[in-house]
Amino acid sequence: LRALIRVTLVRHEATGEPIVLEGDFVGGSAGKAEGKLMQYHPLSLCNTSEDEQQDSAFITIVKLEHRVPPCLPLTEKARMALNKGAQAVIFDVSDDTNAAAEFSQFQETDSLPRPVVLVKGENAEKLMGLVNKNEEANVVIEIKMEAKWPHYDVS
Amino acid sequence: EQIQDRQGPAAPSCPSPCQCEEDGIFIMVDCSEMGLSSVPANLSPLTTYLDLSMNNISEIQPRAFHRLHLLSELRISGNQLRYISGQALQGLHSLKVLMLQNNQLERLPDDAPWDLPNLLSLRLDANLLSEVPAEAFGGVRSLRHLWLDDNSLTEIPVVALDSLPSLQAMTLALNQITHIPDYTFTNLSALVVLHLHNNHIQSMGSRCFEGLHSLETLDLNYNNLQEFPVAIRTLSKLQELGFHNNNIKAIPERAFVGNPQLQTIHFYENPIQFVGKSAFQFLPKLHTLSLNGATQIQEFPDLKGTTSLEILTLTRAGLSALPPDLCEQLPRLRVLELSYNQIEELPSFYHCSALQEIGLQHNQIRRVESTTFQQLTSLRALDLSWNVIEWIHPDAFASLHSLIKLDLTENHLKSLPVAGLGALTHLKLKGNKELYEAFSPDNFPHMRVIEMPYAYQCCVYASCESYKPASQWDTEPSSTHEDLHKRTVAMFPIHADTHYDPDLEEFQLEIEESKLQTSVQCTPTPGPFRPCDSLL
Amino acid sequence: SGCQQGGCLTCSDYNGCLSCKPRFFMHLERIGMKQIGVCMTSCPPGLYGTRSPERNTCTKCRPECDSCFNKNFCTRCRAGFYLHLGKCQESCPDGMVHSDTQRECVPRCPAECES
Repeated sequence: LRALIRVTLVRHEATGEPIVLEGDFVGGSAGKAEGKLMQYHPLSLCNTSEDEQQDSAFITIVKLEHRVPPCLPLTEKARMALNKGAQAVIFDVSDDTNAAAEFSQFQETDSLPRPVVLVKGENAEKLMGLVNKNEEANVVIEIKMEAKWPHYDVS
Repeated sequence: EQIQDRQGPAAPSCPSPCQCEEDGIFIMVDCSEMGLSSVPANLSPLTTYLDLSMNNISEIQPRAFHRLHLLSELRISGNQLRYISGQALQGLHSLKVLMLQNNQLERLPDDAPWDLPNLLSLRLDANLLSEVPAEAFGGVRSLRHLWLDDNSLTEIPVVALDSLPSLQAMTLALNQITHIPDYTFTNLSALVVLHLHNNHIQSMGSRCFEGLHSLETLDLNYNNLQEFPVAIRTLSKLQELGFHNNNIKAIPERAFVGNPQLQTIHFYENPIQFVGKSAFQFLPKLHTLSLNGATQIQEFPDLKGTTSLEILTLTRAGLSALPPDLCEQLPRLRVLELSYNQIEELPSFYHCSALQEIGLQHNQIRRVESTTFQQLTSLRALDLSWNVIEWIHPDAFASLHSLIKLDLTENHLKSLPVAGLGALTHLKLKGNKELYEAFSPDNFPHMRVIEMPYAYQCCVYASCESYKPASQWDTEPSSTHEDLHKRTVAMFPIHADTHYDPDLEEFQLEIEESKLQTSVQCTPTPGPFRPCDSLL
Repeated sequence: SGCQQGGCLTCSDYNGCLSCKPRFFMHLERIGMKQIGVCMTSCPPGLYGTRSPERNTCTKCRPECDSCFNKNFCTRCRAGFYLHLGKCQESCPDGMVHSDTQRECVPRCPAECES
């Protein structure tokens, strides 16, 4: 299922139009989520990493890189991020082609309690662009309704 | 306030290109990562903190710091220093912290050692020291914390350590030490923490820890110990002991008789075959005990006096029975993991009222009585898979109100008592070939994942008619993404047939609601070759 | 982006250091919403370093410690706590008094001594 990611900069909250991006839900994790965007280093989702307390609802974004030696399967990384309190997890898989493949073998029974979304390409660049500017942003994730049946005016 | 902004004669000078900060009348100087090749010359005598780390300093001129009588912390880590003479550190009477890690120090001064009478912390880690001269620490007698890890020491600097009666914490980890002689630490009566992990220690004298009256933490992990370190017997204050990843084959009787304060013992990754029955007695503060693969253990250890145990793991041993008074000895047990033994009969765990997890998979258990798990109201996970259970008393699970995971895979069950199982979210019954009953979903209102012996037993969890004919389900080649999408539409048939353009919010609510109704994953999934109606 | 530091071995604009040169400690530093890898010769205040053959990591001290040698041994306490044999406590054992400047328990002065 496709995900709609609406990003609103906190300083534009009253006036600004949200930036709308897209991604793919992993396995059966499709659903709605909202929170402050918070970047996590790939190494922060390993068995040895430490907990970090966040004061409000947040959505984790992780840019995966093939040069970082994998410390856990990605589904476990996703589960760890959710266990750290994230309302949802976004993985930028642009620079880690194995990641998308690994997620595709995701078993339905390993149900994830909250949404996990993969982004890449232009969608990922826009999102990471915000992160790099350290712009505080609020994110809403929803299921994108695929318009399956075009509407023909037969009147 | 940044010194550079202040004008006026009294302002202590800040050497360029360093950054300085005022601390009352004193000054804190940061010259880190500035490409310096020597110590700045015009340092103010009012300097209390000086950071020279991560530069290219390969030598310290004599008397470079001789005016800095008030300097409390000096950082020269991450440079290219090979040697620092006693003269180089002259005048640092108030120095408390000296950081020299990540240099290339090959030796320490011997004849004229550093004179730092108030030094408390000395970092020498990540250098190239292969030995420590006898007099090296003669001028730092107040030292409390010493880092010598990640060097090339082949033996413990016994004589040099004799100069440090106030030492409280020391690491000698990541060196090439092979042996610990008797009486190595006799003068270190204040030592609380000793790290020796990642060395090549093969042997140690039986009196090598004499004198360590205050030691609380001893880390011997990742060495090559062949025998159990009996020398720990003199460590009466020991609380944390680690010797995992060694080559120890047996833990003797009364192994920890001298260590009544022990709270944690880590000794996994050892080829332990034998464990003395009395090895873990009288450890009233021990809360975790893990023993895996000790095949020679035939009898359950006697844990008399080890009353605080919360986690007990004893797997892949030769246990065939459990003591009837197990729970009287271990009233605080929370996790009991006894998988891969030959246990046939179970005692009553009645007195283990704090139990949350029990792992008994891969044993020879035949029956479960009404008293076996009685009153375990905190029990959340029970794994009885891969046994030979034929019969379970109707009231066996009656009081397990918190049980959410029950695994009875691969047993010989003909029926399953459901009384008390209302909280289950995960139930596994696969492999019970004579269990034909189709359980009603009403028995398990919170179920999420259920594994049944036969597919037809899953039909109660999703009406069989809603499943598409085979041609749309199994045979159509589709990419994983499309397959997921198709299965989602199939699982929520209300969207497949109607022709409408739903409002997004309403559509999402329907997704959420329908997820609740049919979120049970039941396997094996019925299908054309696994029909809902039992062939019988 | 943290890429210019001396201790970095591999680096990326978004994540900062991905791996460190030998003998450097990897620390994940939070700056607002960003979290970047930083390679250092000693861990920041409030964390202690653990060296191992594979990697060197920084781990938080106990909350009451400003700096520590390992998880159970503090070397300097936070304000309001006093150090004794590696423990930071709000009061000192018998025969000792607390020194606010040093944040330590120090021996009580003998009767005949004023300060």
